[in-house]
Amino acid sequence: MEHFEEETYQDMSLNTGTWRRIFSFMRPLKRYIYLIIALATLLAIADAAYPLINRYGIDYIIEERDLSRLPLFIGIYVFYMFFVAILVYAFIYVAEKLQHELAYIIRKKAFKNLQELPFSYYDRTPVGWIMARMTSDSRQLSDILSWGLVDITWGGMMMLILIGVMLYLNVQLTLITLGVLPVLIYLSWFFRKRILKAYRDIRKQNSKITGAFNEGISGAKTTKTLVLEETNFQDFDIKTANMRRHSIRAAVFASLYFPSILFVASIATALIFYFGGIDVSNEVITIGLLYVFVSYVGQFFDPIMQLANSLAQFQQAQASAERVVSLIDAEPDIKDTPEVIEKYGTMEEPIKANWESITGAIRFENVSFKYKKGEQVLEDFNLSVKAGESVALVGHTGAGKSTIVNLICRFYEPTGGRILIDGKDYRERSVHWLHSHLGYVLQSPELFSGSIRENIRYGNLSATDEMIEEAARLVGAHDFIIGFKDGYDTEVSEGGSRLSVGQKQLISFARALIANPSILILDEATSSVDTETEQRIQRAIETVMEGRTSFVIAHRLSTIVKADKILVLEHGRILESGTHAELLEKGEHYYKLYTNQFKEPSLN
Amino acid sequence: MKRFKQFTQWMKGHIHLYIIGFALLIASQYLTTLTPLFVQHIVDAVFADKPSALPGFIAGLLEGDTLSTTLLLVALVSVGFTLIRLVFVFLQRTVIAIFSENVAYVLRNTLYDRLQNLSFSYHTQAETGDLIQRATTDVDTYRRFIGEQLIDVLRLFFLMSFAIVQMVRMDIPLTLISLIMTPIIFTSATIYFIKVRHVFERVEKAEGKMTNTVQENVTGSRVVKAFQNELHEIEKFDETSMTFRDENMKLSQLMALFWSSTDFLIFLQYTLTASFGIYFTVSGTLDAGQFIAFLSLLGMIVWPLRQLGRLIGDFGKTTVALERIDEIMANPSEHEGDSDFKPDIQGHIRFNHVGFQFDDDDKPLLKNIDFEVKPGETLAVIGRTGSGKSTLMNLMVRLLECTEGSITIDGHDIKRINKKHLRDKVGIILQEPFLYSKSVYENIGIMKRNANPELIENAATIASVHDDIVGFEAGYKTVVGERGVTLSGGQKQRLAIARMLLENKPVLVFDDSLSAVDTETDIQIRRALMHHWKETTVFIITHRITTAMEADKIIVLEDGIIKAVGTHGSLLEQGGLYADLYRQQNNLADDLPKEG
Repeated sequence: MEHFEEETYQDMSLNTGTWRRIFSFMRPLKRYIYLIIALATLLAIADAAYPLINRYGIDYIIEERDLSRLPLFIGIYVFYMFFVAILVYAFIYVAEKLQHELAYIIRKKAFKNLQELPFSYYDRTPVGWIMARMTSDSRQLSDILSWGLVDITWGGMMMLILIGVMLYLNVQLTLITLGVLPVLIYLSWFFRKRILKAYRDIRKQNSKITGAFNEGISGAKTTKTLVLEETNFQDFDIKTANMRRHSIRAAVFASLYFPSILFVASIATALIFYFGGIDVSNEVITIGLLYVFVSYVGQFFDPIMQLANSLAQFQQAQASAERVVSLIDAEPDIKDTPEVIEKYGTMEEPIKANWESITGAIRFENVSFKYKKGEQVLEDFNLSVKAGESVALVGHTGAGKSTIVNLICRFYEPTGGRILIDGKDYRERSVHWLHSHLGYVLQSPELFSGSIRENIRYGNLSATDEMIEEAARLVGAHDFIIGFKDGYDTEVSEGGSRLSVGQKQLISFARALIANPSILILDEATSSVDTETEQRIQRAIETVMEGRTSFVIAHRLSTIVKADKILVLEHGRILESGTHAELLEKGEHYYKLYTNQFKEPSLN
Repeated sequence: MKRFKQFTQWMKGHIHLYIIGFALLIASQYLTTLTPLFVQHIVDAVFADKPSALPGFIAGLLEGDTLSTTLLLVALVSVGFTLIRLVFVFLQRTVIAIFSENVAYVLRNTLYDRLQNLSFSYHTQAETGDLIQRATTDVDTYRRFIGEQLIDVLRLFFLMSFAIVQMVRMDIPLTLISLIMTPIIFTSATIYFIKVRHVFERVEKAEGKMTNTVQENVTGSRVVKAFQNELHEIEKFDETSMTFRDENMKLSQLMALFWSSTDFLIFLQYTLTASFGIYFTVSGTLDAGQFIAFLSLLGMIVWPLRQLGRLIGDFGKTTVALERIDEIMANPSEHEGDSDFKPDIQGHIRFNHVGFQFDDDDKPLLKNIDFEVKPGETLAVIGRTGSGKSTLMNLMVRLLECTEGSITIDGHDIKRINKKHLRDKVGIILQEPFLYSKSVYENIGIMKRNANPELIENAATIASVHDDIVGFEAGYKTVVGERGVTLSGGQKQRLAIARMLLENKPVLVFDDSLSAVDTETDIQIRRALMHHWKETTVFIITHRITTAMEADKIIVLEDGIIKAVGTHGSLLEQGGLYADLYRQQNNLADDLPKEG
């Protein structure tokens, strides 16, 4: 799982490919980018102009004692007031617009690709990893791109304009001010990088502390029975002490940063005091101009700090960018060939007219399979199932039951040999064609938040309310559903917690039934339910399986007994196959498994 | 007063740092407001021979013989002055950081310690996520408040106050004019930050909904694909993602409105101050340098004002966070007031008419449990889930305290024995043992740090888990638990047994602790253990007949009462539940062929 590490700490050089890809997402938002550049430039002009307004007041009204110019001065101020207010509104609005639209685009692209990625991707990618890309990374990235653009444009323009205006006003004082510029840039960059790194260290420590709290709470009973309170506390203390050390270090860096910038600026100010003062006394410059230069020195380090900040953030955001791009550009390893796509269409534009009907006969021909970086699961596996037959798969964990099911669903494809559906290699038809004929009932019934009705309809989005009730009735769920106050509109709520496990299973059966699949996959639950529910589920299973080719990863004795064919699997091989009676008669593997596994069901 | 105590209770022992920090803060803010006066000094005192607004002790340093030496002095002193001011700023921030990090450190440790020592019943009811939130996010909210936000409020407050003082020293009418807009700016900022909170909540809700959709889609990917609902999912997600975007934009609009309108108000204030200032200067009641200083000092008043509004909102959050922390601390540690009695223990255990009932339950979980086990004997307790067999064991190590009757060990009532001592002597192996995020090696040796490798491997071998461990890529160094390799239930149980083997316990309890191990391995492990611990009193809690049958004494528990007591033989003869179970489990195999 190395590549799912959340934080990578090496200093990365600029990855132009990633950024080019990210910028390509921004193409539809071009007009906002131009607007931001224009607005940020205007703002920089406004900021640079402000001391000049006061200079007018000092040099032309105060020094010349000419109050007749006061109305003009007030007029300029009032205009400035409106100008800045409108400008600030506009650039915040546009920058935010860009940010949220970009985040929306990134999420949309990522989610769409997620839907196209095969099951194998989900199998090896932690849910948390995907979630982080969809939420914090997309947010952080769009934030930095839009506000970074504002800051960089503003900062850059501000510096250019200030330098330009200063040169125009007085070359000597400008050169003095610019003298400290390299020091300022160096200091900003030096501290920014260190501060960011220090904060990353803090975050790392913080997640360790969170982990320790989690462990302390979920492991409380074990800790008590083993009397480990002291030991755990000592471990914890190391973590919090580390956290304190890192935090203080970060704070010291941060408290050095701003003062050291200010100190350098104060040297520039002092130089202006001296040389500017002498110029004033020699009447080379006016008092107003001295004021302007003192103000400009103060205004000068703001853009520098902003630029340093934005650049450092960009560098940090690269990791986010890379992860987001890796999700958006992840190539599905199960893909239809161009010929198949031409005939059957894509996910978004299926050509349903060319989709054949299905009878549901399945053949495994010399199929072998191994997971990436895993051991061989199936080798030279052969199996033939007639349409409408039910097959029970039994065997220990790791025998290959789930693999066979995953292969039938084309969640994975065989690494050798082929799988025929209705006599044709299923890779010659589209994945979506296959899935449109597939029903799947999971061990842990995954329901979605929403009403019961919506959950059943999930099997067939065009199903009417009558069809939904019919399906619920057939699996024996109707009674308990109408028993709820809101009936079919009852919210399933998070993870379906308001319904019992048994009820959730029945709903998932109704969902499968309404899909009317030709091939049914059933991963039976091992969890125990009360006898009545157990019987209901049993009846529901029989209803759902009727007339369909079905594969059951079986745990219930009665399901196995009624299957047309039982496959006893071990290490990816079929040890035995036959009906329940045949296999018991034989008295070998199945017999042993059966007696061991179902020997003590009576107590719980 | 209560608020104040709640607020300061965690600062004990560090409060002197806070006071030093405050002093430095006040000093540095005072010095900051002197900065604009250097320009005033140059313009008024140096060039116009008017009074300097700088305090005498600084102004006195700035008198040179010639104009250029005077200017040089001003330049040098201003740099020296800034240096001193910045040292104050740096020291203040560092001292406050040390203070707040120390407080957070103590608070985190206190919380962790308390959480570990809270009673077992507290933990059975607590929500892990919520507790973690309190111990991390809430602590951080408090730390940020005392270390950053409160300091910011004070900093801004003193900055504004001293700026006003400097203004008053120069010109009172212009000072009053300069303060006209301040109540309006402050009020609108405060109102905005209060109003914006519910918009924030809506954004958070929209985000939650979107996150939930992704989460469900990803965890339910098989269902999505098998029912071919990808397009439907994209639509569903797009809707939530769009709502999130739109709610965000509503917030952005408010933000844009707030910043632009307060900018407007601030510049309105500038307009007023500048216009009147110029008028006063031309009229001769104000000097030019004073006018320039006024503009700078005004900046120290109006810009901070809108920050203050936000800080008031933060204070509310901190109070809530502190209350949530206090809620945890309000629960006493289970070791508080516990006895110090630590007798030697042989393992003679008696349950005297023991009963147990939770406070909020209407019927007891255990009733009139009465039995005796002598040192070295093995007792099996068999019963269905919910029969109360685990409660029995929780009582024995005082995870729960019996509400009726008493339990004695070697004649001592266990309520009189020190809890930790008791738990140290009575080893319980849980059905769902917890493994810590450490290596397998450290997990086995967790009760005996620095145990030698041979001992560890030996324990693992007896618990039949050595082969599994060697099979892992990193062997004994494999990290398990939350951040490590996921182990099967059976592997966890066997590791739990291995870790118990490192110490000799006079009493040992298997609380269904081999339920996930197959019958053969179960027997094999237990035989090895019996051999290892001849002297130990052993309790076996189980629902498996094969596990119970070898015990010296078997108790059949049903609905919290002892249904039958005896040995395997005598219970079979008695008939009843035990015999029924035995027959069912044992004869199943013989019946099979007939069934088919």
